[in-house]
Amino acid sequence: MLALTRKKGESLVINNNIEITILEIRGDQIKIGISAPKDVPIYRKEVYDQIQEENQIALQADNMKALKDLL
Amino acid sequence: MKIKTRIFGEIEIEKDKLICFENGIIGFPDLKKFALIHDEEKENAFILWLQSMEEPDLALPVIDPLNVMDSYEPDVSEELFSVLGDLVKENTYILVTITVPQNVEDMAVNLKAPIVINTGNNKAVQVIVENDLPIKYKIYDIIKEKAGE
Repeated sequence: MLALTRKKGESLVINNNIEITILEIRGDQIKIGISAPKDVPIYRKEVYDQIQEENQIALQADNMKALKDLL
Repeated sequence: MKIKTRIFGEIEIEKDKLICFENGIIGFPDLKKFALIHDEEKENAFILWLQSMEEPDLALPVIDPLNVMDSYEPDVSEELFSVLGDLVKENTYILVTITVPQNVEDMAVNLKAPIVINTGNNKAVQVIVENDLPIKYKIYDIIKEKAGE
């Protein structure tokens, strides 16, 4: 992972069209501003991880016999 | 074309049933091609399957959310649908994934991350909605009742 040090008010530019700015630093919380094209999905990682896990469980379809028996 | 699958054995896939997720599904960017199929042995096939064309072992059980609730209004920024090309209401097909854990009574649908298909060109995308909808919405009782109809 690339690690860069930034101060409040400083930014990063990714791929010519995404800009990430450190807006505010307060204790262990950092407020980040993101300017990106609107068709770029931006999600909180913990929500993304939950959806990934749910997709993983759904894809395995381990207990499909039970579902078939139910139908 | 014919493909071998873990759940359904060897099945024939018609070309018009192929669905393309250009960005994959969430957490699985390489799973791009699926076939939308239903179990032909069942008459009331309200549960459908997105069978991966790339990984024969993987298939996502899916359902139209309106089968398990009266109204479903996901709040999604329209731009996230740009990968679907021209999307009109008549061509918009929404599905949600089903998980069936060891205890079947805990089966649930994921209302937080619907799959949206443009039936005009068979392109699809999975998005995370902005509104506070459950990732695990229990549906066992509803499915049981429906299956008995």
